[in-house]
Amino acid sequence: MSDQQRAVRRVFAPDTTIDDLKAYMGPFAERLGYKFNTETDFVDEVLESEIEILEKDGDVFCPCRVRTGDFKEDYKIVCPCIPFFSDQFAALGKCWCGLFIRTDIEDGADLIGVMDEPEPGTDVDVPVCRLDDLAPGTARHVKIGKHDIAVVRVGDDIFALSNVCRHAFAPLAEGFVDGHALVCPWHGWRYDVRDGTTDHPNADVRTFSARVHKGEVLVTVALGRSR
Amino acid sequence: MDIHLYALSTCPYCRMTKRYLDDHGITYDLTEVDLLEGDEKQSAIDRVKELSGGTSFPVLVADGEVVVGFNKSKIAKIIGL
Repeated sequence: MSDQQRAVRRVFAPDTTIDDLKAYMGPFAERLGYKFNTETDFVDEVLESEIEILEKDGDVFCPCRVRTGDFKEDYKIVCPCIPFFSDQFAALGKCWCGLFIRTDIEDGADLIGVMDEPEPGTDVDVPVCRLDDLAPGTARHVKIGKHDIAVVRVGDDIFALSNVCRHAFAPLAEGFVDGHALVCPWHGWRYDVRDGTTDHPNADVRTFSARVHKGEVLVTVALGRSR
Repeated sequence: MDIHLYALSTCPYCRMTKRYLDDHGITYDLTEVDLLEGDEKQSAIDRVKELSGGTSFPVLVADGEVVVGFNKSKIAKIIGL
């Protein structure tokens, strides 16, 4: 391998510090329903490891997962990796390392160390965004495991349904909300957000249970496998 | 008892596990997977996947039992602490 190929990809400023990482990651984690672990010494230890990894491998990869060298795999463990494992983490109450814990967990001490993966198939409430970030009469696309889901706000009510139009596979969340209908952006097919029905035959979409808890929008899915 | 610890040199849980075993005077074989290269690294990753079903670290193997993460109570039970 030439020196050129060995060059470290640099996307962070030189001499990035733990405080820089906290300032950078905190707001993103918060939008996803997570916060830094309440065990501050542990947080510093994990972030210190991430700085070591950053210096060596060029990005803040998860210190608890192995880099394979294949970027198509490794990008899934760039910290915070919450979006790629949102259903598993919702069930665990934390990310793999425990650097981040769910915002509703008051004490993160008990979550440190345990990495047992939750049983696939069980229902889990996954935080997808804050209610304040979803204006009434709008929709947004969220991805949970293998599910592409349109989350829709009608007044103060939240609904969740498949994001894929059964007509030509358009992304429904890019359409618009008309009363309780989510209207497809490509050909105007209308889906009732309450039950996923449409007036076209055999074209209803799947719905998911959704609710708001402490200002966070939660969508219920059956837990998938992490790999 | 044969104990083997698969770890990453950068991983806080791996450091905690090593500290825990060292503090209790337990001897073990250690493979720091991220410090390996080429085929050796790949075969260690494959072994970890085979043992644990994933790529989370550390993975401790003792008498055929496998513990993923720094799960102190599980480790203590398996190695009889």
